[in-house]
Amino acid sequence: MSAVTPDLTPEAAAPTSGTNGAAPAAPAAQPGAPARTVDPYAEQAPAPGIRFLHYLNPLAKFAAPLPVMLALIFTRGLAIPIAFIVLALALLVIGARLSGRALAVLLLGVPVVILVLGLSFGLWVDPERIPGGGAAASVVIFEIGDWQFTLAAYLVGLATALRIAALLMLSLIAGLTTSGPELVRALVQNLRVPYRIGYTALAALRFVPRFGHELEVIRAAHRVRGTDAGRGPIAAVRRTIGTAIPLLASAIRHAERVALAMDARAFGAHATRTERTISRWRVRDTVFVIAFWVVSIGIYWWALQAGLGGVTSDRTEVGL
Amino acid sequence: MTAAPLISLDAVSIRHDESARPTPDGVSFEVRPGEVVLLLGPSGCGKSTLALALDGLVPHAVPATLEGTVRVAGLDSAEHTVAELSEHVAMVFQDPDAQVVTGTLLDEVCFGPENQLVPAAEVLERAERALKLVGLWERRADNPDVLSGGGRQRLAVACALALAAPVLVLDEPTANLDPAGIDEVYAVLRDLASERDHAIVLVEHNLDAAVDIVDRVIVLDAAGRLVIDGPARDVLQDRAEQLLELGVWLPVSTLAALRLRDAGIVLDPLPLSPAELAAALDAVEVLPSPRLDADAPAAATDGAAPAITVRDCSVRRGGRRGPVVVDGVDLDVASGDFLAIVGTNGAGKTTLLQAIAGVIASPKGSVDVLGLDPSRADARTRARQIGFVFQNPEHQFVAHTVAEELELGLRLQGVDDETRRVEVDRMLARFDLTEHRDRHPFLLSGGQKRRLSVGTALVAGAPVLALDEPTFGQDRARASELLDILSGLNAEGTTVLVVTHDLQLVADHATHVAVMRDGRLLGVGTTADVLAGPLIEAAGLRHPPLARATRGLASHPEWHAVTRMSQLPVARRAAA
Repeated sequence: MSAVTPDLTPEAAAPTSGTNGAAPAAPAAQPGAPARTVDPYAEQAPAPGIRFLHYLNPLAKFAAPLPVMLALIFTRGLAIPIAFIVLALALLVIGARLSGRALAVLLLGVPVVILVLGLSFGLWVDPERIPGGGAAASVVIFEIGDWQFTLAAYLVGLATALRIAALLMLSLIAGLTTSGPELVRALVQNLRVPYRIGYTALAALRFVPRFGHELEVIRAAHRVRGTDAGRGPIAAVRRTIGTAIPLLASAIRHAERVALAMDARAFGAHATRTERTISRWRVRDTVFVIAFWVVSIGIYWWALQAGLGGVTSDRTEVGL
Repeated sequence: MTAAPLISLDAVSIRHDESARPTPDGVSFEVRPGEVVLLLGPSGCGKSTLALALDGLVPHAVPATLEGTVRVAGLDSAEHTVAELSEHVAMVFQDPDAQVVTGTLLDEVCFGPENQLVPAAEVLERAERALKLVGLWERRADNPDVLSGGGRQRLAVACALALAAPVLVLDEPTANLDPAGIDEVYAVLRDLASERDHAIVLVEHNLDAAVDIVDRVIVLDAAGRLVIDGPARDVLQDRAEQLLELGVWLPVSTLAALRLRDAGIVLDPLPLSPAELAAALDAVEVLPSPRLDADAPAAATDGAAPAITVRDCSVRRGGRRGPVVVDGVDLDVASGDFLAIVGTNGAGKTTLLQAIAGVIASPKGSVDVLGLDPSRADARTRARQIGFVFQNPEHQFVAHTVAEELELGLRLQGVDDETRRVEVDRMLARFDLTEHRDRHPFLLSGGQKRRLSVGTALVAGAPVLALDEPTFGQDRARASELLDILSGLNAEGTTVLVVTHDLQLVADHATHVAVMRDGRLLGVGTTADVLAGPLIEAAGLRHPPLARATRGLASHPEWHAVTRMSQLPVARRAAA
């Protein structure tokens, strides 16, 4: 089956400016819409062999971290989230084709965000609920009047920030290495999601930038009419309703037109549709998922053994 | 001998659920293989509805009642799904943006055949053939978003071709395109028409583009009844007057010839294209001199005080690091001018107009409208100096009734109740909206919405009016109606600025033309000078049809400057 596609995909790897020499690259039709840096539809260019994440079924990349993500919600402590952040980063750095910029954000930006987020979460921690007696509770980082910000509070905040970061990094394993069409194909072909839903969702994705642009124009139009006058929440609500009506009217009209165009091209005619690209679940997908689960269980086992964290069903519980 | 009809309509009446009477009403005709049929009729006659009925979207997908029968390849459309019928009839719609479903050109073209369960290898074969035919095969890996409007509409044609249906129905395929896009799409359609592999049914109001590829014309009247069905040339040439009476817009060259006939210059047969008009005029030995200075709108404004001064205006889109879309523009507009800003897509016309009207920020001191820097004034002060009309009038509506919509601008100015009532009534009457005063603005017809948006821009008494592509997506009749209103306002002293693609409307209405390319102002001058000079071509545009005909005249050099309908000689009794 895949024999029909190879002659078509390689072009995607070459910079497009080289392939469209015949037709000059037209500027984006809507001058207001900035060139999108991320194209959720772009088929992936073939990646070097080591970038194995690109060769996995998208479902494998979701299924592997999913149990861990659930477990993380109920996990306390610093060690386990850190371990999974490191694991996810390692997988991404080795297995994903990343731009230098994305790499910098992952390796430098993520730690900074965790530290800052930890601070702000720490400020919200109720000091009463921090288990007293620990050494950390007596270390005061800074104080304002009577109120003290202790190391213990910061560590609790940090643990929360790390959990969130770990969830994010685990979801990026699939997020950074899967295109929209790939995901839809996997859902439809491997998970038997009805194709009408999958492809309609994909078509709806196109609406987002369009409506964003349209909203900008409507706001400008209303500014010209002078209806942006007035401050405060009531004026803001009125303004929002005022822009929502034209946006909705045009959204409905647009959706109707797209639906007609899809109907006219036999969308939904049959229970299935031809798939030019077959999404397969291969041995390597099973291996990846099982290996990921084994490593995850190993991390939990080691951390709980060493007393570096805990699992609790009370999500309001703070502590390490 | 004659092949079986691909489509046959028998007494077809279609009533939309929200309307009282059916349009079209009792229409019967057949379409045979290889025919190119043009469906004509005034606005609201139901020609687009009829097009939707040809592949079963009416009655299956659109809330409407269909009487009579539509047979597609012998199948009754009421009893077969749109999907089944799509194997026999493929559609191309008006809005190129609303037809794209997937993320690459190749996926897009494959989408239809994939839905039809065509085997993958054949899907690719069909996609390759279709994309090559419209000249987009090299760009198959691109996202459709990066194509121009004309490119996206060619893609829509390729998608329709990939369905391998013997009939292609196109519903106003070029109404949303600029002239370059129109030419692109018609180049493709001309190839298709000459191959005779497909029957083509075309709904189109831009006859100048369509006339040379169609071989049969079907005309509906305002009530949606079929009045004419015959060979294209015979109908357009022999029954031109009847078509005009029905409210059908004729090719500009034909309109010019009809006007000349009234003036005693009979061109027979009637020319349908600029080339034919030029040939016919050259064949006439003696032509009366054209009325070059006749109601030339430019004469009135010479020496008037400047209303708008633009100095070294540069604007970036999308923030400080965005691309420069308007680049160092200097422009003066005298009070009372009717200025048209023209250029290809992406030339920066709309951005310049928005900067002038203060819709977007311009560099400090670069724009002056009657002593005001519009992007630094508050809405109230600005509304007294310059009104701005957006491309889509709905975007500007904020109130629940037509009258309130007009009142809002006056309220902003702090006008007292009594004056407000008088002023609203005056504006309603001026724009022919009095009977609609209590309706919701969104429920008006397209033309009424457009008139209301012009009214709201002027109600605060602004002496300058700026309009962004006011004729976009409208047929010639409605576009011309709007331009007549603008000419009327201009005659009353309002300075008018429009951005438009329609150079014939520019030629007929504007006093001055500013030509832009790549963000720069190539030049500005009186309409006659600009249309006679090299600027239009330098900007990558094509001359309007009448100018194309007269520029090439060999035996009547004094006619080279004729670009406007009003410059043609008039009937003697009218002149006397």
